[in-house]
Amino acid sequence: MPTYPARVREICLNAQGQPQAWVDCPPAAVPAAGQYGRARSLPGAVLAQPLFPAAFQTGGFLAAAPLPETWLPGLQFTLNTPQGHGFALPASARRVALAALSGAPDRLLPLVGQALGSGADVVLFCDAAPGGLPSQVEISPLKQLAENLPWADFLALDLLLEQSETLGARLGLSAGHFLPCPGQALVFTPMPCSGLAACGACAVRLRRGWKLACSDGPVFHLGELL
Amino acid sequence: MAAKYDFGIDPPGMNAAGSLGFAPGRAAGAAWPALGAFVTNPISLSPRTPSQGTRCLPFAGGFLLHTGYPNPGLKAVLRQYAAAWSRSPLPVIVHILAQSPQENAQMARQVETLDNVIAIELGLAPGVSPAEARALTQAVCGETSVIVRMPFELALELAPGVIEAGAAAVSLGAPRGALPGPDGKIVEGRLFGPAVFPLALQRLRSLAGRGLPVIGAGGLVSPAQAQAMLEAGATALQYDSVLWA
Repeated sequence: MPTYPARVREICLNAQGQPQAWVDCPPAAVPAAGQYGRARSLPGAVLAQPLFPAAFQTGGFLAAAPLPETWLPGLQFTLNTPQGHGFALPASARRVALAALSGAPDRLLPLVGQALGSGADVVLFCDAAPGGLPSQVEISPLKQLAENLPWADFLALDLLLEQSETLGARLGLSAGHFLPCPGQALVFTPMPCSGLAACGACAVRLRRGWKLACSDGPVFHLGELL
Repeated sequence: MAAKYDFGIDPPGMNAAGSLGFAPGRAAGAAWPALGAFVTNPISLSPRTPSQGTRCLPFAGGFLLHTGYPNPGLKAVLRQYAAAWSRSPLPVIVHILAQSPQENAQMARQVETLDNVIAIELGLAPGVSPAEARALTQAVCGETSVIVRMPFELALELAPGVIEAGAAAVSLGAPRGALPGPDGKIVEGRLFGPAVFPLALQRLRSLAGRGLPVIGAGGLVSPAQAQAMLEAGATALQYDSVLWA
């Protein structure tokens, strides 16, 4: 598996006051929306650190929180080739709803630029809005997600593994009712082996059996989760 | 009668079961540790699903895993990976989970004649009795060498009996511990990471001091620690979380 040198250029805080990091690295090491990079050779670290992108810049990306609080500018490490299956925003999507059920919208933010770039309207449902969003993005409280689902023609979620078991209820779907639009969800959970071992720690129960967030996800189609 | 320790591995290092998957080739290729054999993920006769609830909890110096050893069962594993084992540049050690002696004998007979499989590692469950450990070991012993992975806490009690029953060597499983999960519920599981090393070295010294063939494992994160285990009498080493760092 190819590895690339990487370096923390800057530490900044997200809307919740958690540290996130601008990482300088070669283009081949930049994960796409919903994918993750695997930061290795970290001094004193017990495990590799998965890095999800929150934004992109020439020469690197913004690694979303949570990150170790010990990270400082200048930290050097290696990054593997981006791993996992990320989001695939349909080119035809015109009304995109992004919802941070996990409480952290950062991992959804790379979709904002994609959606706006293709001419879609974007609503971000979250309880702590990040700063610096384009003015075209509408922000709504998370509690309004269910009643606005009929508006969307694509839904992208960020949720914790433990929330996946009750996802239907969280979206206001009663038994026998289906999501009115296609969508995908990033299932956020510890991935200690980062796809090396199929250790099972990040296993997600789907409609047709178990899959691993580290290698089969972390982004899954909502139809598989609901 | 103890079997001869005849599966020489050069270099004397391997991954611990569960640390690199079911077939070689997914490791990142770091310069250290060098592996002389590949150990498969734990395999059961029938499929096993992941455990419910919290499965990974970090603590200072390590992390706790409670996964339930999910695997698709021996039949599916052989269908999917036996060809890769035969092509592997590293000899393969197949790790089977202890079940009943009959089931483990059935599994061993299917595995022991496969190309490039040089040994079977039998993973004993926590709480196994000395008599059960001996019976399981005898059931697995056959045409290939057998390593028995000890529950860490019972290693001193069980190791002499399983060597007497025919195992070529014993290996040290991860110690078990408990931590409060995010919801406050206590999660029990296996402990990994550098914090484990002092415990593992002490247990290895005790076993090797009795003249038992022991594969050292637990918290190895540096060449110096590996050397210390070899000097303490380890016949080979198993690496776990360092392969994920």
